[in-house]
Amino acid sequence: MPKVYLDYAAATPVDDDVLRVMKPYFFDIFYNPSAIYLSAKAVKNDIAMARAKVAILLGAKPSEIIFTAGGTEANNIAIRGIMDKFPKSEMLISSIEHESVREPAKDYTVNEIPVNKQGIANTDKLKKMITNTTALVSVMYANNEIGTIQPIQEISKIIDEVKKYRKKNGIKLPIYLHTDAAQAPVYLQLQTHKLGVDLMTLNGGKIYGPKQSGILFIKAGVNLQSVIKGGGQERGIRSGTENVPSIIGFAKALDIVTAKRSMQLKETQKLQEYFYSLIKEKLPGVIINGSVKHRLPNNIHITIPGTDNERILMELDERGVMCATGSACSASNDEPSHVLSAIGISEKDARSSLRFTLGNYTTKQDIEYTVDILTDICL
Amino acid sequence: MTKQKTVYVGMSGGVDSSVTAALLKDQGYNVVGVYMKNWTKSLPGFDCPWKEDFQDAKRVAVQLGIDFKVFDFETEYKHKVVDYMIEEYKTGRTPNPDIMCNQEIKFKLFLETALEDGADLVATGHYAKVKNGKLYKAKDDNKDQTYFLYRVTEDALRKTLFPLGEYTKPEVRKLAKKFNLVTASKKESMGICFVGKVGIKEFLSQYVETMPGDIIDENDKTVGQHEGAIFYTIGQRQGLGVGGGLPYYVVDKDMASNKVYVTTNLNDKRLWTRKLRLINVHWINGRPANNLVEVRTRHRAKCSVGTLYIAPSKKNIAIELDQEIRAATPGQSAVLYQGDLVLGGGIITL
Repeated sequence: MPKVYLDYAAATPVDDDVLRVMKPYFFDIFYNPSAIYLSAKAVKNDIAMARAKVAILLGAKPSEIIFTAGGTEANNIAIRGIMDKFPKSEMLISSIEHESVREPAKDYTVNEIPVNKQGIANTDKLKKMITNTTALVSVMYANNEIGTIQPIQEISKIIDEVKKYRKKNGIKLPIYLHTDAAQAPVYLQLQTHKLGVDLMTLNGGKIYGPKQSGILFIKAGVNLQSVIKGGGQERGIRSGTENVPSIIGFAKALDIVTAKRSMQLKETQKLQEYFYSLIKEKLPGVIINGSVKHRLPNNIHITIPGTDNERILMELDERGVMCATGSACSASNDEPSHVLSAIGISEKDARSSLRFTLGNYTTKQDIEYTVDILTDICL
Repeated sequence: MTKQKTVYVGMSGGVDSSVTAALLKDQGYNVVGVYMKNWTKSLPGFDCPWKEDFQDAKRVAVQLGIDFKVFDFETEYKHKVVDYMIEEYKTGRTPNPDIMCNQEIKFKLFLETALEDGADLVATGHYAKVKNGKLYKAKDDNKDQTYFLYRVTEDALRKTLFPLGEYTKPEVRKLAKKFNLVTASKKESMGICFVGKVGIKEFLSQYVETMPGDIIDENDKTVGQHEGAIFYTIGQRQGLGVGGGLPYYVVDKDMASNKVYVTTNLNDKRLWTRKLRLINVHWINGRPANNLVEVRTRHRAKCSVGTLYIAPSKKNIAIELDQEIRAATPGQSAVLYQGDLVLGGGIITL
């Protein structure tokens, strides 16, 4: 039986080259980078090199990068770091953020920016929602469930206007734009100055790097309250002995996906179109959710009306195809996905929806096999 | 040609009910898997305690290629089983919620709902045999679950299949592997399902206010303090938080004064009895003709021989045992047998 993995938005396998560069830091050069002997200093230097590499890839300065244990941690640090600094302020998030943004945001005064039926944040509404006490706006770069790409540059321009207005009117409270870009790096450009973000989250586990690796980009001049206190590593914002193999692996993974980006984008787009055409041909009646135009090339999100998505997922799995019903955390919960509700999908249709996410190792044959099996199950 | 019969199988996501469904499918029934969603207390840190079992049950249905449904019995289960259990504990008795669950939920509500939904029969993964509306002990003595089933009615039994009654547990495990079921090597679930991970003491503490009280020994001496008489089960050897020395056995408790009486003397008269008095008696196929019965006062306990006396009211019965047994626990059930046949039983009272 073939094994077809179509859940790359949940996890990616570690690239061979990534693993290769990580390996020495587990064994020969395992030292604590804060130690004084020269062998440890060499490790510290390697971290600095990794940080510089990441900075270059993001068009940032090395001092603007802190390494974290994954995307959830980076999102928590961004939100808590800003909101704890300005306790009387409010924040705005889009209505389709990942739980790692939604949940920490609940600890503060937060409002949700609605999205349209295509799953794109409404920037006109956003403009009106910003008040003089808004300190943080967090909108993801690309959605994890339906793959829709958010207008970050446009939002950045709105925030810039607010910044100018506040300066002119002597309002001291700053306003920052954070984006959770966990799903983006394989396909979308990440130059922070082009995007115009103040804070940006990346996650190694989604870019063929190790799980629980990641970074938070923090633009120079943005001051965060330290979230994890201790020995003062990562500028004191996130203390703890550096996870060296993970840091090295993350930098390498980001390097590789950046180099392959334009090629991967084209290849995956072709596969996505192929997937769509096969579905339309063999499974008429299937609905494609979210914008097709502003969308990651690896995301196919469909509703097969009247079906039980969990059962179909299991049927597919029994025949070698791995996919998802939504974000992994929502499976079997009583509440349907907040993302699908936000784009106006009924609870019933949400329970008939499946997500397939393609990756670097996905082939045309994988897609043919998957649609064949799906057709067999549903018809 | 006779119409293929439809059996609704209660599937919990465990190995027993999985094999039950597989066997019935093999025997040519039209099998529908049903997950009964019963009441579970949501606990901090355990988001959705039934999620994995539910998914396992569903997965087995997929593997067998059978339909799968969910029956939501949360409200009824809370009312008939959980509330009953809490009330019983409050009065000082030690109830058996599994027996209640079988009586009220599995072989009443589930059966009725299934029949209405189009089932001809229902089945569960219990270790017991059923024939012509009569209930018999399972082939596997070690697993026999008739103790929990004595309150099921004859009418219900006539609509019920227990395929596992003919197999031993090791055989069932082997069958699970043979059928390639995802649940084949799943661990046995233990304890009361809805109490789950917290344990009975913590569970009860959330519903009943408890006060510390005295533990008094056979010499009328206060030997220690307990956290609430409700937590103690008569007849049991228990950790009483009384350090060192011989083990203590609970012989009595007074809920009103919140006192627990214990003894270190295993020969203490109060620990032993030759007479059982039962209330809320249920006969599966009516009263037996012969008064010579075997009695079991705990699941998997050895049967004791005794003579049955029926009160003139016919509601209560007494059993005179041939030999003394360790004092039975009020609130628990005594189940009566004649050989492998289950006659029925009742609730032990003082």
